[in-house]
Amino acid sequence: MTVHLGLSGYYLDNGNNKMAIQQADKLLKKHKDLHCAKVLKAIGLQRTGKQDEAFSLAQEVATLEPTDDNSLQALTILYREMHRPELVTKLYEAAVKKVPLSEEYHSHLFMAYARVGEYKKMQQAGMALYKTVPKNPYYFWSVMSLVMQAISAQDEKLAQTMFLPLAERMVEKMVKEEKIEAEAEVQLYFMILERLGKYVEALDMVRGPLGEKLTSELQSRENKCMMMYQRLQLWPECNALSYKLLLKNPDEWQFYLSYFDSLFHLMDKSWSPPNEEEHCVEGPVHTTVAEAVKFVVDRMEEEDKKDSRPLRGPYMACLELIHRLRQRGCPDEEELGDPLELMLQFFGKFGDKPCCITDLKIYLHLLPPEQHTQFENRLGELVPLGEVGEDGFGFPGDTKALQRHLCVCQLSRVLGLQHTLDTEGKLCLITELKAHYHYGLQFGKSCLKTELQFSDTYCLMVAHVYIDLWTETGDENMLWQCLGVLEEGLSYSPSNAQFKLLLLLLFCRLGAFQPVVDLYSSLDAKHVQHDTIGYLLTRYAGSLGQFAAASQSYNFSLRFFHSNQKDTSEYIIQAYKYGAFEKIPEFIAFRTRLNQSLHFAQVRTERMLLDLYTEADITSSLEESVKAMGLCPEEDDIPWDNMRDNRDLTVLFSWDPKDRELTEEHRRLSLEEESVWLKVRSLTLRLLASLALLGHAPSKRNSDKTNENGVSAKSSTLQTLLSQLDLTLQTAAQITEKQTQYPFLGPPSSRLASALSSGSCHCQASALQLSLTLQELETTGLDDSSELQTQICNSFKSLIVQLQELLSRCKGDVLEMKDSRLMTQPSLLETLVFFVETVCVVLWVASYSASVLRPLKSSLQKKKKKKTKDSSTAMPVVLSGFQEWTGSLQGIVTQALDHVKGQEASLTALKLAALTLGVGHAQTQEECGFTRAAMDKVQTSYLGSLQELGDLLRKRADSLKSLKF
Amino acid sequence: MTTLRAFTCDDLFKFNNIQAFLNFLSQYGIPFYLQYLAHWPEYFIVAEAPGGELMGYIMGKAEGSVAREEWHGHVTALSVAPEFRRLGLAAKLMEMLEEISERKGGFFVDLFVRVSNQVAVNMYKQLGYSVYRTVIEYYSASNGEPDEDAYDMRKALSRDTERKSIIPIPHPVRPEDIE
Repeated sequence: MTVHLGLSGYYLDNGNNKMAIQQADKLLKKHKDLHCAKVLKAIGLQRTGKQDEAFSLAQEVATLEPTDDNSLQALTILYREMHRPELVTKLYEAAVKKVPLSEEYHSHLFMAYARVGEYKKMQQAGMALYKTVPKNPYYFWSVMSLVMQAISAQDEKLAQTMFLPLAERMVEKMVKEEKIEAEAEVQLYFMILERLGKYVEALDMVRGPLGEKLTSELQSRENKCMMMYQRLQLWPECNALSYKLLLKNPDEWQFYLSYFDSLFHLMDKSWSPPNEEEHCVEGPVHTTVAEAVKFVVDRMEEEDKKDSRPLRGPYMACLELIHRLRQRGCPDEEELGDPLELMLQFFGKFGDKPCCITDLKIYLHLLPPEQHTQFENRLGELVPLGEVGEDGFGFPGDTKALQRHLCVCQLSRVLGLQHTLDTEGKLCLITELKAHYHYGLQFGKSCLKTELQFSDTYCLMVAHVYIDLWTETGDENMLWQCLGVLEEGLSYSPSNAQFKLLLLLLFCRLGAFQPVVDLYSSLDAKHVQHDTIGYLLTRYAGSLGQFAAASQSYNFSLRFFHSNQKDTSEYIIQAYKYGAFEKIPEFIAFRTRLNQSLHFAQVRTERMLLDLYTEADITSSLEESVKAMGLCPEEDDIPWDNMRDNRDLTVLFSWDPKDRELTEEHRRLSLEEESVWLKVRSLTLRLLASLALLGHAPSKRNSDKTNENGVSAKSSTLQTLLSQLDLTLQTAAQITEKQTQYPFLGPPSSRLASALSSGSCHCQASALQLSLTLQELETTGLDDSSELQTQICNSFKSLIVQLQELLSRCKGDVLEMKDSRLMTQPSLLETLVFFVETVCVVLWVASYSASVLRPLKSSLQKKKKKKTKDSSTAMPVVLSGFQEWTGSLQGIVTQALDHVKGQEASLTALKLAALTLGVGHAQTQEECGFTRAAMDKVQTSYLGSLQELGDLLRKRADSLKSLKF
Repeated sequence: MTTLRAFTCDDLFKFNNIQAFLNFLSQYGIPFYLQYLAHWPEYFIVAEAPGGELMGYIMGKAEGSVAREEWHGHVTALSVAPEFRRLGLAAKLMEMLEEISERKGGFFVDLFVRVSNQVAVNMYKQLGYSVYRTVIEYYSASNGEPDEDAYDMRKALSRDTERKSIIPIPHPVRPEDIE
């Protein structure tokens, strides 16, 4: 029998679910009540999409409360696949009751609780397990579950007065009984004491015999002591320990920081050592600037003397000390030397390392502005360049010299010296950097495709200077050349992510999404990156009318977010098993951070909106679409108060000087703007869901009281959501008034401003508002509703005017050639997308209107037939108004289609080859080729967007036909 | 000059500015990282620059039978961002991993490296590693490149006084034959 069982299992393992079901059926014919076979069959059913059958079959077995391993394990697998982990707990609760001495089932029960985060039950299960089998880990599972109750408690007081003290007592009991065995147990004890704020006790513990168990992590005891010294403000100990650790390893940056911090605290307190031999338990303490200066200078001298590679730590520490002394207004900094000289010295030693710029960047503020040019010149003297050639430039002879030269260029940019150049100066700079770029390529001839070229950074900097020129002068040629130079760079260095990211950004700003798809996929972004840099893609895909690509990019992100929940629970359980207790809250925080991600909420919302725009009332009705998505208008699943902005807004490399850098304020404003835009979108989505359900209203009025109540509940949801939308739009208007400008390489602006200025938001809101009035008419009927009818007709007319205005804002050429220049107007494309989205919303409302008016009209006709004599009754205004309205809507959609067709025709007619490139600026034939290729990409992408928009408009026009009576 | 500290989940959000990480991260999913964090947190160390940039990281584990004197530290991944290369950071991270393995009573530390990656092979040799054996087609094909062999490189730790663990095996082995 085991063989047969195995066969069914074998088929499941190999993905042959049908065979698995057949095998299980065969078995069940022979042995009717073979639990395990039933469950295997259920797994097969589940995997072939027969969830309901699978579930009821599984429940047949589950209600019998099986205690055989096979059934339990198979059910566990099944429930996990059904995303019903809570059922696993029920399963093992029953099993443990029946077999109370089973270590295995108790432990499965504990893990089942862990999977669903039932901390209290975990605590009990852990204890029960320990009582069954007194092994230490089980006891500490229970303790950890108390800590988790503390962490997850809403009430911090409960955590501090109940859960944590209880956990502490549980550990103390083991300590007293000398039963502590493992390092993990000591770690947990430390965690508890730390969370209780019992730092003295924690410190004693770490220094005492228990602390000796802390051996896995390097410097574990020292690090923990340091942490406690800082918390307890034991500055002498903190200082002495930092000093000790720095003597051992003069490159450990964090200890310089704690050394300086503690030193200045001690100075502020005028601390002096007690008259004992030792200053404190950790050894000698430094309390004066003189001592610190000597300490740092000594460290530098040590490095100078060394034959081996010098460490950067001591030299950086010197600059850090100057920085801190200056902050305190302390005159002693002179003893360390002139920052300019020190930085030159640093450059002399480390200038050929790529990180030199990252290091020096931090301390450039130590130089007064009037020294900047001098600094640049002196640095230049330290760069060995060859003889100046015909073009006026000297080049580095090897990669080390190249790296030095690059470092100077980067410093010059960070100091703002490039930014102050005039247009001519910037163009000369570009020529020079390009020459260096091309010259440097020879050093990387043998580089693999996966490696970067040594001179890539020159190329990136050229692009940055072009962007400066473009933003300052508005000359689009600069942008085209910038694209060309980056495309060229990518051809030599195909795995340079910075090239790709910048190209991606520029194409997006140009409104050309098509090339972005390939660029992003070649970045090979994975898992968390979908959250951190996914915004670069999802911000633009839909808004530029590339709906298929948009759908795909939302899916990338969503797939990652959905798998995260499952992934993390698995490893929380593992962390219990291996006693990595400190990782458990970390894993949970990680999961929460992803679940509360702004980007996650955005893609979820945009994905559904996009599906509605492209499918609802085309492939299936709005109502069906809404139901298929499981959308419920009353439900808001976005964590507005705890939103996490996980976007990496500095992913694009920048050497901009401090005053042009991305600030915290920028970050705040960007998050604010994105959140409000998300709110607008999510309310729109919920309103559409609400509208879809209104459409579901029963046709027989007054015949069924409960139904009528149902309808009014729906309309009150609609009402509530509409007023929320109204409020949100007011906030939105305030935000867009600020006209926040972010640094070019920082976050893109949200769609909010253009959504408001195009009028699309208000038009959609008035359309949705109209559905509410129509709902009223449905209840009132045609008689005695002339005022309501007039109101509705006015709304019809007003919507036409609004749509007409929106469409007029789309008019113009998205791409045109003027005086041998190529000009773009990507905003026209974005507005056109808003227009199309708005048309969708208005048409759904129109469809709802038809569903309300049709029965009214037919009942009117019935009445008319009865009173044939009195044939003078005119058609009610709302009916004629509606007919007129649908006619006008048809007209607008046709106009829009004509516009799209016209744009397509003029784009196709543009002959980019006729453009003469490279005039005025030294662009080589090759560079012109890359620029042309970029232009072609933009042109093709625009065409693609127009085609998708045109297709959708045509489908919408078709759906309009069915609205006529 | 570096801050060396335990890797945390939050570091996963900071990886983007580093190209090598972009490439490296792609190979594995979140579960891979979480598994190491849950099982061998002490072996997962990250280096951070004074400006907060991630410079590199090392990730490893301890495995093997003590009875058969095969208990050892294994380097699963070592990566240093291009802008922080040539500073001796990789050596420092390796040294830490070796120290952790010493404390756990390992007999040796081992790692796998593409035979074509001469730069890495030389670096490991400089750090005291030698080729123990060749593993045939250890790296499976990607992007049209063929399968590639790996060197299994080892360095004996102090517990292996006779340095038995690093005596090379002359014949190449298949991936399924290694533990």
